[in-house]
Order: sequence, then C-alpha cells, then structure tokens
Amino acid sequence: MTDVTPAPAGAPAGLPGSFHAALAQALPADAVLRHPADLLTYESDALVHLRQTPGAVVLPRTTAEVAAVVRLCHAHRIPFVARGHGTGLSGGALPRPDGLLISLARMTRIRHVDIDNQYVVVEPGVTNLDITKCVAPFGCYYAPDPSSQSVCSIGGNVAENSGGAHCLKYGFTVHHVLGVEAVLPDGDVIRLGGPTLDPPGLDLLGVIVGSEGTLAVVTEVTVRILRRPQAVLTLLAGFPSIDAAGEAVSAIIACGIVPAAVEMMDRLTIDAAEAAVHPNFPPSQAVLIVELDGAQIEVHELFATVEAVCGRCGAETVEIARDNTARERIWKGRKAAFAAMGRVSPNYYVQDGVVPRTRLPEVLRRIRDLERRSGLRIGNVFHAGDGNLHPLICYDEAIPGQAAHAEQVASEILQYCLDAGGSLTGEHGVGADKKGSMPKMFTADDLDTMQRLRCAFDPSAICNPGKVFPTPRLCGEVPGPYRAHPVERAGLAERF
Amino acid sequence: MTDVATVQRLEPADARELAEMLRSADDRRLAVVVRGHGTKAGWGVPAVRTDAVLSTARLQEPIEHCAGDLTVTAPAGATLAAVNAVLARDGQWLPLDPWAGGESTVGGLIATNDSGPRRHRAGAPRDLLIGVEFALVDGTTARAGGRVVKNVAGYDLGRLLCGSFGSLAVITSATFKLSPLPPASRTVAIAVPDGAALGRLIAAFAAAVLTPSAVEVALPGPRLLVRFETTETAAVQQAAHAETLAAAAGAHARVLHGADESACWHGHDAAVHHPGGVLLRLNVLPTDVAGVLAALEQRASLHGLRLHAAGRALLGCLLVHADGESAALVELIRHLRTAARPPAGHVAVLSAPAAVTHAVPVWEDLGGAAAIMRAVKAQFDPRGTLCPGGGPGGLA
Ligand SMILES: Cc1cc2nc3c(=O)[nH]c(=O)nc-3n(C[C@H](O)[C@H](O)[C@H](O)COP(=O)(O)OP(=O)(O)OC[C@H]3O[C@@H](n4cnc5c(N)ncnc54)[C@H](O)[C@@H]3O)c2cc1C
Repeated sequence: MTDVTPAPAGAPAGLPGSFHAALAQALPADAVLRHPADLLTYESDALVHLRQTPGAVVLPRTTAEVAAVVRLCHAHRIPFVARGHGTGLSGGALPRPDGLLISLARMTRIRHVDIDNQYVVVEPGVTNLDITKCVAPFGCYYAPDPSSQSVCSIGGNVAENSGGAHCLKYGFTVHHVLGVEAVLPDGDVIRLGGPTLDPPGLDLLGVIVGSEGTLAVVTEVTVRILRRPQAVLTLLAGFPSIDAAGEAVSAIIACGIVPAAVEMMDRLTIDAAEAAVHPNFPPSQAVLIVELDGAQIEVHELFATVEAVCGRCGAETVEIARDNTARERIWKGRKAAFAAMGRVSPNYYVQDGVVPRTRLPEVLRRIRDLERRSGLRIGNVFHAGDGNLHPLICYDEAIPGQAAHAEQVASEILQYCLDAGGSLTGEHGVGADKKGSMPKMFTADDLDTMQRLRCAFDPSAICNPGKVFPTPRLCGEVPGPYRAHPVERAGLAERF
Repeated sequence: MTDVATVQRLEPADARELAEMLRSADDRRLAVVVRGHGTKAGWGVPAVRTDAVLSTARLQEPIEHCAGDLTVTAPAGATLAAVNAVLARDGQWLPLDPWAGGESTVGGLIATNDSGPRRHRAGAPRDLLIGVEFALVDGTTARAGGRVVKNVAGYDLGRLLCGSFGSLAVITSATFKLSPLPPASRTVAIAVPDGAALGRLIAAFAAAVLTPSAVEVALPGPRLLVRFETTETAAVQQAAHAETLAAAAGAHARVLHGADESACWHGHDAAVHHPGGVLLRLNVLPTDVAGVLAALEQRASLHGLRLHAAGRALLGCLLVHADGESAALVELIRHLRTAARPPAGHVAVLSAPAAVTHAVPVWEDLGGAAAIMRAVKAQFDPRGTLCPGGGPGGLA
C-alpha cells in the first residue's frame, strides 16, 4: 500500500552524511531530530496505516530557518515534506526515508491582529481554534471550522483547503485566506496577497490553497475574521428514515434558504455518539441538524419556515436549541461522531466523498446495498447541505482479511460518488491515499495540465513528491520549442 | 503595432474547434487575444501584438442549471444576463454584478475576476467558481474542479484562471455555485457631511450586526449606500437600523426601494464608468477608505480634475474615475502609488489614454513573486502566444 515514488535522480536512499552535516550547521541542535525514537511520532499523519520513517525531522522556528533548510534540500536534491500537526486524513504529511520532514509545529506566534480591518496574521503552526480564541474577546471568529479545529494547524488547513460544518454558507479555507508568505522549493521566500484585496498578477494564492504542500512551504498566513452573527438558531430533528431527512434538506433549499449548516447522521452513528458523549439525540433512524445564523429578525423568520418544512417532511421530533448550552450539546454529538465509532466497532475506516446533493438518496441506497452485501456495517454522517459524505466502515482488524475488505468497500463507495458526478474528496485531500484514484475523476490531460503548475513551482520535484498525482510529470519537457500532442505521439493525427 | 486589417477573427463553434484553432495559431506563431463581448476589452494593457482575435461568442449553449444543487454550468460565451434569465425561473441567480454585467460573458467574468457592489457579501468570480474547462495553446483540453460545491481533488486551476486576463489558457465552460434570489431589497442612501463622519460611519457599519449585501462609498459626496437583500420584514427592519446609525453620525439617510432604488444603483455604477479619463482601482484597508477619499478630493480640486469614486467600503476596494489634463492624471497616479504601498494598499490602472499609460505603469510591481508568475506563464503558454504582454502584471 505504501508506495513511494523513486527518489530524485542521483539521491541515495536515506540522507547522505554531507546533508546531515549541512543541517547541523543551518539549525540549532534542538531543531533537528534524527534518533529513531524521536522520529516515531512523525511516521504518519492521522491516516495511520500509511507509515514511513523520515530520514530526519527539523523543527524550524522562523521563516529564515525554513528557507535555509529548503535551500539545503534544493542544493542536495533531498525531497522534503511539510507537516503541521499531523491530523491529515489522506497521508499528505507521510514522510519518506530518503527525505526530510519539516515540522511547522514550533511556528506558533500570532504576528498581528487588526480587529478594525478584520484580519489576523499568524504563523503556520497556530491551530485553527487559537485564531478564534484570540479574536473572540472582540466578538469575532475565524469561520472555517473543521471538526479537528482544536488540534489542526492553519498551515495544514491552507494545504488541504479545509472545510467544516459551516462551509455551506461561509465557504472553505480559500475564501478566508487573504495572503501567505511561502518558501518556494528553491528556498526563495515570496508573499502572495495580504490584508488588501486584488493583489497584482496571477492568483497563485488561490492555487497554493489546496495544493497539499506540493508547491511551497507556507510560513505565514493572513486570514479574514468575521463578526459573530447577531443570532444563531439550531434545530435537531429526528426522521423515520434517511430519505425523509434528505427530502427535508431539499425542501429547505427549495425555499431559498441557505442555512449556516445542515448535517445528517444515521442510526449507527447516533448510537456511537450516544455511547460516547450522551448528546441525548432522539431514537430516530436519522437526525438532521439545521443551523441558521445572521441578523435576528431574518433568522427568526426563516427558522419558522425550516421548522414547518421538517414537520411537513415527516419529522418525528423537533428540538430547538434556545441557548448556547443546548446548541453545544447538539454539536458535541455531531462532532464526536468520528471518534465515537470506536464505541461500536473495534476499527473503522473514514471515507470522504462528494455527490451532487440531489443525488444523495440514490447514493445512500447504493451504500445500504453494499452494507448488506459486504457484511460490514457502514455508518453515515455527512454534511448534507453540500453532499459531502463521510461513510464510516466498521471492521475488526483481528479478523484476517477484514481490514483489506473495508478498504475495498471504501473505494467502492468512492466509485458511487464519481458515478453520480461527484468528487473523490470534499475536504480530506488526495495525499498519498487517493492519488491512485485520480485517473477515475480526471483524464491524463487534466492531470498533466495540473502538473504544469507543479513544474513551475518545483521543477526538481522535491516538494512533497509522490502525493496527489499518480504519476509525476517530467518537468524537463516544457517549456520547450515543440512538444508532440499525445494524439500525435500515438500516431493518430498529424499537425496541419 | 498591429495592423487591424490583417488581424484574423477566429470564431469557433465549440470547445473542440476552439482548441484546434488555438493549436494551429500557436503552431504558426500568431499572437492570440481572447475576447468575450468586449465589455472590458480596454482594461489592463493591450497585448503588444495581436495577430488573431479568438472570440467565444458562439459558445452559448447549453446552460445547465441544477436548481436542487444550487449550481450552473455554462459555456464561456454565454452572457451573465442569459445565465441569470435561466436561473431566475427557479428563483436563483449568480450574484455577480460587475459593470455592464449583463453583457459580460462567463469567460470574460472569470478572466477579469470582475465584480461589483455585491462582492461585499457574495464575493468575486473566484469565490463562486467551482469547476472549469479550458483549452491550452497546444490544443490540450482540460478540466479542473468539478460540478459539486465541495471538492478538493487536484489543483484548483479555475482560481488560477480568475483574473488571468486570458494569458494562460482559454476558458470554454465553467460551473458556479449559486444563491437563491432574495425576496426583497431596500437601500439606505446616506449623505455624509464630511470625511470624518464618513470614517465614523464606515466603522459603525463594520461593527454592526447588520447583514447588508452591499456597503458602497461614493464621491462626490461623500455618500454611503447600504443595501439589504433578504426577506421583506428583515430588509425593512435592517434599513431602519441603518438609518439610526446614520443619524447618530449626523448624516441624512433615505430608504429607497423599487424603481428609485434601481435608478440609484445604476447611477452609482455609471458614475465611474464613462468614457475618457482614467479608471483606477485602489485597494486599501477599510479604515483608510475615508482618509484616502478625502485626500483624493483635495488633490482633484487642486489640480482641476473631475473625480468620481465608487467602492466597497468594508472591503477597501475602490474604483476611481478621474478626468482632466494628462499630466495631472499621471501625477495623481504617482501620488496614489506612493501613498498606498503594499501591503497597506495598491493601485491598478484599469483604463487610461495612451498619454497616461506611456508615463506610468498600468500594473503595480509584482515584487518577489514576479519570477514564479513568469514560470507559471511559461508552463501554460511557452511561446507567449496568448495576449503577449497583456497578462496581469504585464506578464509577457
Ligand atoms: C478527528 C478528525 C476530524 C477532522 N475533521 C475535519 C473536517 O471537519 N474538515 C476538514 O477539512 N478536515 C478534517 N480533518 C482533517 C485534518 O484535520 C485537516 O486536513 C487539517 O487541515 C490538517 O492540518 P494539520 O496541521 O494536521 O496538517 P498535517 O496533517 O500535518 O498536513 C496535512 C497536509 O498539509 C501539508 N502542510 C502542513 N503544513 C504545511 C505548511 N505550513 N506549508 C505547506 N504544506 C503544509 C502537509 O504536507 C500535508 O500534505 C479531520 C481530521 C481528524 C483527525
């Protein structure tokens, strides 16, 4: 499973002594780890079945140190992998034995806060939640809220274009990042964007966000912060079936309402959450969490419609959270869903796929059939508003072959998503995990075109190589005076 | 100089033909400029050479609206008006309102990343684009993103094309996420006594719990226009709240709706878009908006310039139109560029007479990012076929 693309030409496996010596020169002694015991922590991200021991780990404290390390890697042709807090779920921060792991975990300063102009400048190791904490006294917050927000880094969020339950209304990381400082794979430091909009030139910021650490190492992030909305109302409705809950979602959207969040959980995940954090969810086959926020008057008016729609669609129970405590209890149940699966199954595999929202019922039906056929239980918890599914496939490692079976089931679910016109990943990224599936979603030309960007940033292929794309593009080919079109190369057409 | 008579017109009927024409032009070393409806053709720097103009005008069908998914996929040549007419049947829209917006094509919207007052809440094309299909100069057709609103598979090349002014690839179709059409609208038009009051009012709206769809400043005036697009009750109530904020700042406010409201917005947009003079885009911090506008007015009266400004107060994004002696216009641009330096601000010349563009650069300096931007251009368009010299930042 752990396939590692070959090291750049000329670089031997493991790190050469000359490189170690140069590292020791460039960084203070406590910023370099190379003893096997120290490297253990860095063998994988949260996708723990993919692991490798890194050649060495560095923990720089400043942009200058990151740049110095990257310059060394460039000079010695050593591949490097940036790592935030290792909560990624696609093996994006999977290190390599012949490469260096650059942890940004020590770059945790908040460099600048400007409440009046609504932005904050932070180092990449600052956690998502710490940004909100530092502006909360001013009635502000940072909008993207991945479930991992208390532990994941903003650098990792930028790399993955992370989303959260509230991205239906507020968008993803890319909509809230105004600028970055980044170290290019040759060690040059650049700035893209900043607190003022419409920076000149190409929107490279827009593609660095979501590039999974394959274009540059981000050393500073400027994020937009928002004022807390005047009113937030949250509703928890129990439905007799997933289909009925799905219908309610469609009906809400058909009313012209864009809720701040719409989340759905099925019976299995409700049971798991109940066992773990006792959110006191109703005993229904499916629950829907709908949250509206905004100006008081608007929220109250639209909320009445949402309530009515739920009733019309057969809701068995409707509970309205009238205060923060009630609201937090509902969200705790939802956000605990992943971790809580441990209560109902010894092991589980988290999948992340997207379907157009209107195709949800059909895809969920296929998942239920698969559950029956495969004999593995599949929990469903998802961002129903935007069609982002997170099926949880339960298995028992102790039963021979079941882990592999679960992985097969997970990849079959991805195929259902693609069949419905969806995507391989809505928020966890491609990383090392799904790169092999990329050709199911994109043509060879699509992937080759994306890699032109990579060639511009990283012609020597040392920046997190072997991630995202199934096969690397040889950057030497372009720019060149002439390049045969694939059709031509295959002898199918001639130029006129 | 380009001889207009010899410029070839390429009008492909579909994406395939477009890619073939592009490849053939690239093979023959022709310089190609892409055109939608030409609503922003005068923006930026003209290409240093134009041998062929490639028009997307014939790429108009089909407009595929998935109402339940709040998405639309439309070909590059479809106009925003045509797209929105289809979406309106199901009570939805693509909430972009750039100048001459209705006539702008989907491809042109992306290439200029242009937006209007509603950017305040809805964002610019880059924020709404979720998938894109395009052709490269070597005839490759490719796709990035998808048709679902949430998707992080692969590089988001659509965003790279936003604001690229046709310098990297030719967009053939695009998918956007949509919004429901708001049921009601009110605009609070506020006549502000002076710059100091304007600063206070902008700060008050920034801190308020209101949810406007647009917060615009305008010169002469200064004036503020605050729009609420939501349910009828909420629009009325929020407008009343805005009036009290205005009164507290000693300003006079009027609530507009219906025909008066439309006329007010048309006048606001039109004020900075008339022929002649220079059109500048200033990006500053929101807390600097009032000060920058006051300084501009002062300079304009000193140098006999006719000045109009309109912009997103809380985003710090301003359009400034100035007319007068070329020398004074050049001085104005130079002055603004020394006053608003990155990262606190920057100034782009969107359109200007040759006398001005010969004296000051149209684009701001790309700074340390210039080399990597050139490398990206070289990867996508190795021979510099597309819009030579006319890319953002003057990328060759
Ligand atoms: C329980 C749990 C719940 C989760 N819920 C969500 C969720 O709701 N939504 C969501 O989107 N994700 C979720 N995730 C996934 C994960 O938290 C995010 O992808 C997060 O952004 C990763 O941040 P990190 O700091 O842990 O990055 P890492 O895992 O360390 O790295 C992730 C990727 O980012 C790159 N990277 C990290 N830092 C930098 C940098 N400074 N410069 C360049 N590249 C860098 C790495 O090379 C790697 O490719 C969840 C994960 C867990 C374990």
